[in-house]
Amino acid sequence: MFLAYLPFMAYPYGFFKAGVAALWIVIFLWGTVFFFWFTRRLFPEHSLKHAFFLWLIVWAQAVWMLTKLPPYWIASVFFLTPVSFLDDTTKASQVRVFSKKVPRYFFERILTGAGFAGFVMLLAFVREVGENNLGIQAFQQPAGMLLVVAAAAFLWKNQPYRRKR
Amino acid sequence: MYFLIVAFGFLLMVRGARPAPLQRPVEGLGRIVREAADLFLTTSLILAFLAFAAEFEEIRTVVREYVVLGFGIASYLLSRYQKKTDAFFLTVTASIFMISSKQRDLSQEILMAGVVSSGIALFQACFLGLRYRLLFSSVPISMKGWPSLCLLAGFISMVLWGLWNAAF
Repeated sequence: MFLAYLPFMAYPYGFFKAGVAALWIVIFLWGTVFFFWFTRRLFPEHSLKHAFFLWLIVWAQAVWMLTKLPPYWIASVFFLTPVSFLDDTTKASQVRVFSKKVPRYFFERILTGAGFAGFVMLLAFVREVGENNLGIQAFQQPAGMLLVVAAAAFLWKNQPYRRKR
Repeated sequence: MYFLIVAFGFLLMVRGARPAPLQRPVEGLGRIVREAADLFLTTSLILAFLAFAAEFEEIRTVVREYVVLGFGIASYLLSRYQKKTDAFFLTVTASIFMISSKQRDLSQEILMAGVVSSGIALFQACFLGLRYRLLFSSVPISMKGWPSLCLLAGFISMVLWGLWNAAF
């Protein structure tokens, strides 16, 4: 999730534009997962990864032409995409379309996308408040966001229910 | 450009080429320098190719119109040819886009590619050094992993920001 946020540091966007960009990334991620889930068997062996990157590049070009959104967002999509998706050793054909795994798979992707959009909007809000309202200089550079993310990672890692295990 | 250096420097540090063991920082430093040289050469080569293609009047409009597609495919192919990681490909793509959107002159573009590659290498070298020092410190378990990595990146970012403002 955090790696997917990193390209947002290169965008000089405020809260609203960052939110729109995050929503686009999430919608694109869902579309990509949906598209490749149902077409993956059509690709020759070991070519799915190349097709995935070509897909990203073509869409980066199309979005750049239509909206002038710099193509850094493809890195976010890449890091939100499940690792097994691009693993050549995973035999996707073994999972049947009507298997119980399918709804769970899509549900996890939906949760990932929604969580990412929320995470980006939260950080954009913190940045906006820190930079404009509080005038903290660290938020005018990546350091401010990195320190906020460090705090978020610390809280996430030390959740009370995890300690009980 | 500074934002890109920090973001993608951190990305390459976490997901770039397989790092040398932390116990051997000199070897790790060598790998960082080699990666930075590869990044600079790959970026410069694609920028030169784009500039060369734009010299032909017949295809100039197409090259400028489909610039993202052009350098995206070129950087992907060159990354695969060099057996680089996906993070390397993404960094090259982002760098080329940023450089080509700011400059039109090839020599200036190559100079900027050098600045980006050096900046990323400096960020990674600082990161490696601090991680090495952390090996000999008693970091609490609750701070190990992402929290400490992000803290280190944040502190390095602050220092580099000062240097950046002084230099440019």
